[in-house]
Order: sequence, then C-alpha cells, then structure tokens
Amino acid sequence: MNKGFSVVGKSVIREDGIDKVTGKAKFADDYKFDGMLHAVMLRINEAHARINSVDFLEIENNRNVFSIISSADIPGAKKVGMIKNDQPIFCDEKVVTPGDVIAMLVGESEDGLRPLLSKIKIDYSPLPVLNDPKKSLDKDAVLIHPEAGSNLIIHHPLRKGDIQKGFDESDEILEQTYTTQLIEHAYIEPEAVIAIPQGISQGVKIIGSIQNPFSCRRIVAAVLNLPLAKVRVQQAHLGGSFGGKDDTMAILAARAAVAALKTGRPVKIRYSREESILESYKRHPYILDYKAGYMKNGKIKAIKIELLADGGAYTSMSPFVTWRSVVQATGPYEIENVHTDVRAVYTNNPYTGAMRGFGSPQPIFAQESLMDEIALRLGMTPDEIRRINGYKVGSVTATGQTLKDHDVNLITVLSTACENTDFAKKWKNNLKKKSVALELSKDSPILKDDQFIRPDDNIKKGIGLALSFRGCSLGAEGMDASAAYISIQNDGSVYLDCGLAENGQGLRTTYTIIASEVLGVSPDKIIYLELDTGITPDSGPTVASRGTIMGGGAVKNAAETVRDKLTALVKEEFKLPADDIISFTDNHVHSESEGTLASFQDVCKIASSQGMNLSAIGWYKGPNVHWDEETGQGDAYFTYVYGCQVAEVSVNISTGEVYIDKITAVHDPGTVINRLGAEGQVFGGVTQGAGYGIFEEVTTDKGFIRELNFDTYTIPTSKDISEIIPIFVEGKESYGPWGAKSLGEPTLELTAAAISNAVCNALGKRLFNLPLNLEEVLLNIKLRPADTKRGSLV
Amino acid sequence: MMPRFEIIFPDNLSDALSVLSSGHEHMQIIAGGTDVITGLGQGSNRFKNTKMLIDINNIPEVNGIEIGREKISIGGAVTFSDILQSEFIERSFPLLWKSVSTIGSVQIRNRATIAGNFVNNAPCADTVPVLLVYNATIVIESMSSKREISLYEFLSGPYKTKLSRNEIVTRINIPIPNKNLNGDFYKLGRRRAVAISRITLAVLADVNSESKINEIRIASGAVTPIGTRFFDLEKIAKGKKADDQFFKDMAGKLGEKIIEVTGLRWSSEYKLPVVQQVFYQLLKGIERG
Ligand SMILES: Cc1cc2nc3c(=O)[nH]c(=O)nc-3n(C[C@H](O)[C@H](O)[C@H](O)COP(=O)(O)OP(=O)(O)OC[C@H]3O[C@@H](n4cnc5c(N)ncnc54)[C@H](O)[C@@H]3O)c2cc1C
Repeated sequence: MNKGFSVVGKSVIREDGIDKVTGKAKFADDYKFDGMLHAVMLRINEAHARINSVDFLEIENNRNVFSIISSADIPGAKKVGMIKNDQPIFCDEKVVTPGDVIAMLVGESEDGLRPLLSKIKIDYSPLPVLNDPKKSLDKDAVLIHPEAGSNLIIHHPLRKGDIQKGFDESDEILEQTYTTQLIEHAYIEPEAVIAIPQGISQGVKIIGSIQNPFSCRRIVAAVLNLPLAKVRVQQAHLGGSFGGKDDTMAILAARAAVAALKTGRPVKIRYSREESILESYKRHPYILDYKAGYMKNGKIKAIKIELLADGGAYTSMSPFVTWRSVVQATGPYEIENVHTDVRAVYTNNPYTGAMRGFGSPQPIFAQESLMDEIALRLGMTPDEIRRINGYKVGSVTATGQTLKDHDVNLITVLSTACENTDFAKKWKNNLKKKSVALELSKDSPILKDDQFIRPDDNIKKGIGLALSFRGCSLGAEGMDASAAYISIQNDGSVYLDCGLAENGQGLRTTYTIIASEVLGVSPDKIIYLELDTGITPDSGPTVASRGTIMGGGAVKNAAETVRDKLTALVKEEFKLPADDIISFTDNHVHSESEGTLASFQDVCKIASSQGMNLSAIGWYKGPNVHWDEETGQGDAYFTYVYGCQVAEVSVNISTGEVYIDKITAVHDPGTVINRLGAEGQVFGGVTQGAGYGIFEEVTTDKGFIRELNFDTYTIPTSKDISEIIPIFVEGKESYGPWGAKSLGEPTLELTAAAISNAVCNALGKRLFNLPLNLEEVLLNIKLRPADTKRGSLV
Repeated sequence: MMPRFEIIFPDNLSDALSVLSSGHEHMQIIAGGTDVITGLGQGSNRFKNTKMLIDINNIPEVNGIEIGREKISIGGAVTFSDILQSEFIERSFPLLWKSVSTIGSVQIRNRATIAGNFVNNAPCADTVPVLLVYNATIVIESMSSKREISLYEFLSGPYKTKLSRNEIVTRINIPIPNKNLNGDFYKLGRRRAVAISRITLAVLADVNSESKINEIRIASGAVTPIGTRFFDLEKIAKGKKADDQFFKDMAGKLGEKIIEVTGLRWSSEYKLPVVQQVFYQLLKGIERG
C-alpha cells in the first residue's frame, strides 16, 4: 500500500449507504408529480412480423386513454442506437424480437390502460424467424434488417505472425468448441423513468433509473429533435445496472419524453420484472472455436480463434463488446502467431449489449479451459502452463502492443493466488481421487446395481483457477475524457460532482475520498451532488470499469486546482518562502517551515474574503490509443489490470450440484481508493460470476424467453457461496488518481472459468458449455421445457 | 397486473364461514398470500375471478399448535416460522421440521402457511410428501359441516384438492409416530434457498434389530404430478431385509413407478436417474448397523 495517505486505501462506509438500507433513498419510481400520466406498451406475440396496420378505433375514445403514442408522434429520429441507429423507438413497420413495442397508451393509471391493449387490432404478417446465429450468415437466411444488406453486425479480424507456420512448428494441436449462454443483468430494480415537460421552449427533464445520463440525453434529444441543452437528465438512485440500464433506458426515456411533450404532462414508464426481462438487452451468448498449437515444453506457438456472438435483434453495443473480445481472446498469454475472427450477427432473439465483463467472460471461459486442457495433456499443473506463457514486462500482446510503463503483475497475482490456496498440491490430490463419471443411458432409465453411489461418495472436491488481463477504460472504442466539479464554501465544506454516474458501486464515495485526500478535509464535509446533465459536464458513460481511473482522475484534478490556489494564498498570507511545502491534512493547512498554519475553514474564509474563486472543473483525458481495423493490431488500451481467481468447489456426483466452498480473488486494481468499496466489488463480482458459471441462463423458444421472473431465472443467494477472499496486489501505475485503475469487471470475468476448471478437477471430465447446471454437470446436456408455459398459471 | 380486490379480516371462524357460505368463486381465502398474491399478479387462472380475499390470520380457531398425547394439531393459519420455532415438532416430526426449513427464505416462511402449501397443491409443495408419510389428516369446516379426511385423499391433482368453495381447512392433525419410525426428507433445487424443488422425497421406516422392515412409508414430490405415497412399494418392502441390494431394487422400482405415473417428460433424462440415486441414498439412512 502507498504510504502517507490519510483516507485513500482505508475502509470508508459509502455515503448513500444509510439512506439505502433504511429505505430513504429515492429511486426513480419513488418520484411522483402532479398530473403525472402513466404509459403501457403495446406488443404482439411474434418474434418477426411485418405490421400492416394498427387499429385503435375500439379504444380511442375510452375514458382511460389520455393519448396514444406511436411513431408518428416522434419529431426527430425514429430509430436510435448506441452505435448504429437500427432500433426503432416504436416498431410501427416490423417487429424483429418479442420485446419490441409497437405503440404506447398513456393515461391516468396503468390498471385502466392494460386491459385495453388486447382491444387494439393489429394486422400483421408473420415472417420467417431466425434463432440460430450459426445460420445468420447463410445465403438463404432471412434478413433481420434488410437495409443492412446482411445479418453481419460486425467482424473484427486480428492477424499476428503466421498462423500456418505456427501450427506447422507445433508439437501438438488441440481444437475445442465452447459455448456460453444468454444471461440477464438481474438488477433488482426494474426500469423506471419519468419525463417532465419544461414549459414551452425549455424542452424536457428526465428523471430515471439511468446508468448513463449523457448517452440517454443524446438519444432523447435526437428523438425529440431538440438541442442537447434542452434535454436535462437527472439520475435517480440506481437499484443496480451492471451495464444494463443504458440502451433500454434511453429508449424508455425517449418514449416517455415524446409522450410528455405531446400531452404536456409528466409521463412515467415503469416496468414489471416480466416486462423488464422481456424487453431489456442481455449478455451475448458466444460460440467459441479455439485451435491451439503448442510445444512439449508448454509454450504455445499459435492460436486460431473464431468467435460468433449472437447480437439478437439490434446492433446495440455488439461492435464494442466483440472488440474487447478480439483484443483479449488469447488471454494474458504471449503467443507469436494469432489469427482471430470475431463476428456478431443479427437474429430474432432478444438483443444483446453491454453487461459487466463486456465481451470478456466468454473468451476467458474458453481460453482458460483450453489452458487447463493443454496442461493436463502435458502433465503440467495449471499454474505451470500459465507461468510459461503468461505476460511479463515487455511481453507483446496479440494486438502487437508491448506491455510496459506499469507493473505487469500477471505472474504476481497468479503466484499470490496459488500460495494462498496451496493450489498445486490440492489440484494434484484431487486429480488422484477423481471419479469416473457416471455413464447414464437414455434407453434404459433404470439404474444398474453398479451405478448406485454410496452417500459418502457423493462429494468430490475440485480446485481450479483462471487468469486474465483487462484493458482499462474504453481503449480504441472512443474518446476517453471526464470531468468533475468542485466548489468549496467559505466555511470549508465542499460540493463535489462528477460527470460519471454512480451505478450503485460506490463511486460517489470513491470520489469523495479522492477529494478528501487532496484537500485534507474529512469525507463528511464533502457533499456529493446528484448527477444532472444540466449541471455536470459530459464525461462519457460509466462503463468499462472507467469510473475510478477516469472520473477519479478528474476529481483529483479539480481538487488539486483549488488546492493549488489555496497554497498560493497561504504562502502570501503567511509570508512563507516560495519553496516552502504546504500540506493539507486533518482539516488543517500546514507548512514545512511553520507547522500548522490554520484550519482549512479559516483558510477558505480568507480566500472568500479576497474574492477568490474556489470552484473548479477538473478534467482528465486518457492518452491516445490506436487501432488498425484491418489487422487488429495496435495499442488497444493505455493500460491493463491483471487478476487471478481460484475456485474451490464441492461437486455432488449423484445430482450434479456444484457448491462453491471458496473463491480466492487476487486482483491488481492499481491503488485501492476505498478498501470497503473494493472488497464490495469483489464480493459482488464473484457472486455474479458464479451465477454465470453454474446457474443463470435465459433460454428462448423461437425467440420467446422462458425465464421471465426470478422464480425460474435463478441468481445465487447468500447460501450458494461460502467464502470469498479478496486480495489486492497494488501495482504501480502512472495513470488514474495515484495509480488507481479498474476492478469492477475483472472481478466478474474470471469466476465462471475458475469454477469450470475446478469442476473438471473434481470430476475428471471437462465441461464445454456454460452454465454448469445440474444437467450439464451430470449428463453434459441442457434440458429445456418444450414451451414457455408456466405450470403455476393453471 | 395486480387486479383490484377487496380484503376482509374476520376475527372468528363463524364469521369467516358465513361470508364463504355463498361459495362464490370470486372469494378466495388468503393466509400468507405467498401463492395467492403471486398468482393474482401473474394472472393465474385459479385466481383470476377473485374479487374478495378473506384473510384468516385473525381467527383463533385456525391458529396455534396443540400438542396432544397421540397427535399434534396445527392450525390452518400457522406459518412455517411458527413450526420452526416448535421444539416439539423438531424432535417428534424431524422430517416436517426439515422440509419447512428448506422453504423459500426467512421472509417467505414468516408469512407462508402449511395449509396454504397443500391447498395450493403445487407439484413442488415441499411439505406435502412429509405430511403424507406422517399420515396427516385435515379438518375441514363449513357453515353446515365439519369433516376430517386424510391429506392423501384430499389432494386430487396438480393445483386441485377436494376443498369446496365454502370450506376452510381449520386444523392439520398428525399422529405422533411410533418411536421406531426413522427416516429423512430430501429436497433438490437449483440452488440452496428460494428454490423450486426439482425432486423431493420423504421416507419413514421401522426396521427391526434383524434388519427386517416392519413398516415403511415413501412419498415424493416434484417428480410426480402431485406429492404422493407409493403404497405398492411400501407393501413390497414390508418384511424384507433392509440391505444394500434391496435398496437398489427399491430405487429401480421407484424409477419404474415414476415413469408409470408421470410418463417421460423433458426433464426425465435428468430426474429419473437422480431420483433413483437419491432414493437409494435416503434408504441407506435407515439401514441398521
Ligand atoms: C419466493 C417464494 C418462495 C417459495 N418457496 C417455496 C418452497 O421452497 N417450497 C414450497 O413448497 N413452496 C414455496 N413457495 C410457495 C408458497 O410459499 C407455499 O406454497 C406456501 O405454503 C403457501 O402458503 P400461504 O399461506 O402463503 O398460502 P396463500 O397464498 O395464502 O394460499 C394458498 C392457497 O391456499 C388457500 N388456503 C390457504 N389457507 C387455507 C385454509 N386454511 N383453508 C382453505 N384454504 C386455504 C388459499 O385460498 C389459496 O388457494 C414459495 C413462494 C414464494 C413467493
């Protein structure tokens, strides 16, 4: 840990914590306004259909209907998107997935409106439905968006070295296919948003459960055809997001805003869990083909990777999600010859976009499974093979970037994790005790005598690890800069705000700590303001684990700007030599020569009496990165973080249950700002990663989701995971506040892969398809109900 | 969407029964509401005509756990948390206590009732197999009648029972089992809490010192359309030696029986082998020696 900090690196309770646990925090649905109307969505039960006509005649004059909102009411862009404008606000011509909304009824109460939906006559012609991403690029495949010319959303190639030569020179070749599943973010708070008209010419104000207020504003402004400044977006407390309240929320905000401007009244949209799961985007399922050539000594010579991501019905974030995949698909291993193709395609399935991890958990599952398999074939332990191939200082990544200028701590996190878990010894022991997997026959469902397992033999222990590197922030995805606002009052109390939005991860507290450290005032004197696009400068989205590194950099810059002014002031005021060193700690200002000079409060009073401006906008801009689209070569990200997780599991060989005994999570996030917050990230990320590994899956039947609520969509509970041990290796870094980098996503991306390797260690058989649920573990299959009906609805 | 309804809170049985006496299908008894409210919210057919809910929690006659010499009597509005707090139940009805402890979460158990569990009669109702092996009977009252029938008889099909619209289950009576009956309850869900059961089994057996089975009671849930007893198997087992080979035979027979009553379903490929396996393991628990 860095020495000499007074707050940084300590455990600070989050500033919104008490309000949240006592129910006082205001979430979007808690906001109510005079004259507020509600809106309900019109959909059809089709995954792909042309809409011929919509007839509202029967309900037009119903007293519960205040207004009917459709595409015709949109003054500006009718189609939007985070990257490509292919998603209609209202699907008046065609629906391409069951979540699509055709129009919206607005009235005083949801209850009054809902029964009317079935009275609207929609004439439509069903179109062929495409659900299999592998068939998306077939010549005869139905086109989801004919104007795009093909179902290909994006193709990222990467070429390094000579792949054929690499395979030719390899001693052995291993080829495997892995699959990962569609999953839901499962934020506990479903979507809610209110649009409030602001007089005749002032546009609209949006309050909502919004992950990225600035992205939301851009889309609402485009839809309303208003200048950005006339759309003010205020973030309510967010009940979870995990990357999921971006596109969906922008579209809901736009619908509400169109209705608000048409009716002249505030309009609220809020979703039930079912509607939330139905319409919101999810994590991309991937099909991952890996072919590796390696030497008998463990060195990997060549790797050929082909990834296919199901983007579902819309582009959303697919190009960026899959871009991260192409950069990181080899894992943190230096390989001379790499040939990667990542494609995302359209289907009529629920669309997929950003989710914590963002294109990394999928390749990590494949690449870390593959590494373990190679180790097994060569008689090595999983850590040995990784030590041989893992990145060190000066290593060159698959994109041709040389890793330098920061602590390349990959081997350090690996060693730390192994030492803390006695990894190699346990791994070898389990291997010796491995069970022969039960052979079950489909034809004779009755067990034979020798197939019965004694109760004492049920549990097999397994240990497995996974390793990753991760590019911090946006990389070559786009412009990377953020802003913070600080304003010191004449009594020394402080207002702070940053353009990067709190997503529930404790960002506000992290920023408060940073300002507190710089100014030497205690965190309770710093009041964190709400994010409002009308007040705070655009800082890009809270994504890509960039909150601390980018927003933190801006906060530090803002705080230092005012501190430098105060430094100059006290030197003059106290007549100190120019080279005297002024420090700000313990709510006081000190000089090296004179000791404590005055309280921070008094210094601020002096400043104010002299008419000094004690507010500042801080700015932090990431260094330039570059990328060649054709070859997939370039310095993809300006810095990286490294992590290693070890999973210890108990597998019940009679039932296929996997229980997580312990996850040891070793991460290098750079400098830890809030220890409590950092540990929270690990606990949450690991739990989410475990859900991805063993439980969670959104399954579809012709595009229709079966798991529309948490009775069947099972996320882990506190009873499903035993111990989680966070360990931080704080590497040196020149970027970010005091070298603080990223942690949020690394904590999630490794867990499923580590668990899978542990299950393999326990069972002696490898599983290739996430999630490792009961059926997969026992039978290597996924079983699904024939349809989407719920038994309890009888 | 949650439909509009009226809710009343009668504070004695006769008031409640008199409201119910018309037998209107728009009236619905509510105890914990953990099935009724979620069912209403989902537009479940069973509840779709509900206009009035009759909350029975304030009725003394359907509350309390009474411990008698030969039986225990549990009120029709007693919650799972109440049951978990009873040391007598933990001692004398360990399978019941265990099944209750696996239900939902603390919040659910604080509201949900044992009567609600079997009146709703989902295939996965966790206390049903246990109540069946304990030979529970239930007292059903209406304005004009009072009857006591076995739970086995009461349950007629998935989400169906022999309850009439004008009746309330007032008590659940369970005979205190003879001391020689031992056994266990088994539940498999997709996770360790708030989980819908994939398989439940309950076994109670009296095995004598020569390892002979004097009596055995076997029930399942979730693998059969409703929780049910396996009387055929019980008969076969009677008098047999409780040894490893016999347990394997029994497990195979249970598998066959389940195919017979349930048929092959999408989940059979998993559930069938596993139910045999865990049934075998459950039987190992009654093995002497
Ligand atoms: C999150 C969650 C988790 C759950 N987990 C489980 C679980 O693990 N295992 C499990 O088995 N179930 C589970 N359930 C289902 C439910 O909690 C149980 O079935 C519970 O026992 C129902 O009891 P209740 O008192 O809430 O019933 P209610 O919802 O009040 O009533 C259910 C039905 O019984 C009728 N009824 C209730 N009491 C009487 C009476 N005395 N006389 C006549 N009719 C009556 C009602 O009219 C209604 O038809 C869960 C439910 C939820 C929401």
